Amino acid sequence: MRISSIAWANLKRRKSKAAFLIIGISIGIATIVALLTLSRVIKDEVGTQLDQFGANIIVVPQSNSLSLDYGGISVSGVTLDVNQLRTDDARRILEIPYRNRLSVVAPKILGVTEVEGRQVLLAGVDFPSELKLKRWWRLVGQKPQQDQDLLVGYEAAKRLSLIESTADGQSQAVPVMEMAEVTSGGGVHHNNVEQKSFRIVGDRLRIDGQEHRVAGVITSTGGSEDQMIFGSLPHFQSLLGKPGQLSMIEVSALCIGCPVEDIVKQISAQLPNAKVSALQQSVRSRAETMDRLTRFAVAVSAVVLVIGALMIFTTMMGSVVERTKEIGVLRAIGLRKSQIIKELMIEVAAISTIGGLVGWISGMLASWLILPYFSQSGVSLEFDPKIALGAVMAALLIGALSTIYPAIRASRLDPSEAVRHV
Amino acid sequence: MSFVVVNNIGKVYQSNGVDSAVRVLGGINLEIEEGEFVSLMGPSGSGKSTLLTIIGAMNHPSDGRVLVDDIDVYGLSEERRADFRCEYLGFVFQQHHLMPYLNALENVMLPLVTSKASAKQKRIRALAVLQRVGLASKAARLPNQLSGGEQGRLAIARALVNEAPLILADEPTGTLDSKTGVEIMEVFQQLNAQGQTIFMVTHNPDNAALAHRIVNIRDGRMFDESDVAQSGA
Repeated sequence: MRISSIAWANLKRRKSKAAFLIIGISIGIATIVALLTLSRVIKDEVGTQLDQFGANIIVVPQSNSLSLDYGGISVSGVTLDVNQLRTDDARRILEIPYRNRLSVVAPKILGVTEVEGRQVLLAGVDFPSELKLKRWWRLVGQKPQQDQDLLVGYEAAKRLSLIESTADGQSQAVPVMEMAEVTSGGGVHHNNVEQKSFRIVGDRLRIDGQEHRVAGVITSTGGSEDQMIFGSLPHFQSLLGKPGQLSMIEVSALCIGCPVEDIVKQISAQLPNAKVSALQQSVRSRAETMDRLTRFAVAVSAVVLVIGALMIFTTMMGSVVERTKEIGVLRAIGLRKSQIIKELMIEVAAISTIGGLVGWISGMLASWLILPYFSQSGVSLEFDPKIALGAVMAALLIGALSTIYPAIRASRLDPSEAVRHV
Repeated sequence: MSFVVVNNIGKVYQSNGVDSAVRVLGGINLEIEEGEFVSLMGPSGSGKSTLLTIIGAMNHPSDGRVLVDDIDVYGLSEERRADFRCEYLGFVFQQHHLMPYLNALENVMLPLVTSKASAKQKRIRALAVLQRVGLASKAARLPNQLSGGEQGRLAIARALVNEAPLILADEPTGTLDSKTGVEIMEVFQQLNAQGQTIFMVTHNPDNAALAHRIVNIRDGRMFDESDVAQSGA
């Protein structure tokens, strides 16, 4: 016979009360586990999507002269600079220690040239990585297939008479992320900015005497790409007389849980002649979005924990009153105050451990059932022993905290009064 | 020196401030020798149970001292007093106060919870005491599976298991029929015959007469003490 024997015997005797407490704790822990698991999965998914949505690191040559502007970012006048970026530098970025955190590396050559009597900004890009980076682009036409294929910005296309407005209002523009490798040409787009529809009427464009095919037109984004013409990187490098040179490299890093500053440092170390900077606004807004999700989950979890703690507190207080006589007898026959507290704590610890485990299993099960309704990319749940341990520890903590006062109160019962209690 | 010395004990209960203070005991002096069987008699509300709990190290007196085996009981800290109760005292309550969820053997083993003895040793000791009160064959039964007399004997067994030198009994036959009461009193007599010191509170003059000495109390004061053997009871 030990203190624990009394605790076990009591639990066996009050099965329904113990079961009620276990169910209560389980529901609380299951809610918290499901909430935290779902929020973590959703956070990862949203974070990944946000990270893939545009660049958050820009690499440009070290320079004092600023001559071109692209997407609100000043780009060095490469022809005047001693330190220039080379095509090979884009590959070298993929060799940094955090390379698995890099989603897209998109090199570019920029230059101004005259097209049909107008000054136009040309951008030579690696189309697969560029289209992966600019997921918000919507194209009318096809993705470029050949070296001489072009994508033309909406304003540039309009000024070069490559498109004309239509009145039918049909919209057939397709987001680049949903585009098949080869799509049928043509198409009509309803322009959201100007509330007009257009279709491609001219599919040929001469630049520096060379014939190019207009594969597609980027619908208006309101950004600088509206004014630009995009072509393949090696072709435009040659066209602009800058073979092997780059004006800038845009990098999209998956920065959930990693400091973007570390990636910036690693790229800087890899490319000592380049200026690498993080787009702080983009990084901060991503972090804020993630924080909001986490704060919501934590706030709801805290409310659930408080309710669970109050439930245990009331039940244990009731239990102490109910067991006044019994506790008095135990004190009368020589049990110390600390032993009375220990006995009640063992009971709650057993209940909390079972409640925590059942809660964790239920929470994971609930997450598994609910996840498909929240996740678009079919993210699967992973067994995380930390969550299991955390669930049991949380249950033990709320159990212990809610029982301290009733247990102390029980230990302070006057044995002479308690044994008279009927 | 006597085994138990109660020296000028007084007890005042204060429920709602000084104005409503109630003195339940005053100027109580009592000595109990080792191996003696003493009965305490008095009407309801006379302070019998209060005196018993004061001697039982459970109820701090307002005045006076209690010495047991030369130990100043209320000079001990509260936790040491719990140890003292475990080591020196065996309680038999009027309602028996058995734990309904523990079987007879486990109920007897309860005071051994704090003992450092092994589980096997505790079991052997508890079975020996159950044997002594004639309940060895019912060790696995729950209290509600025992008769009133058996429950009383079980309560006595629990008081004996620690080999406490002093048994304190609070109307141990109060809730029993007369036949069962006699059965319990026989157990007390047998224990006393084996040298056990017993201090028993009772309403029943027949039971009180089985002790060596009867102490009478009324309105919180001792007014008469009679030697049963000398009076020929």
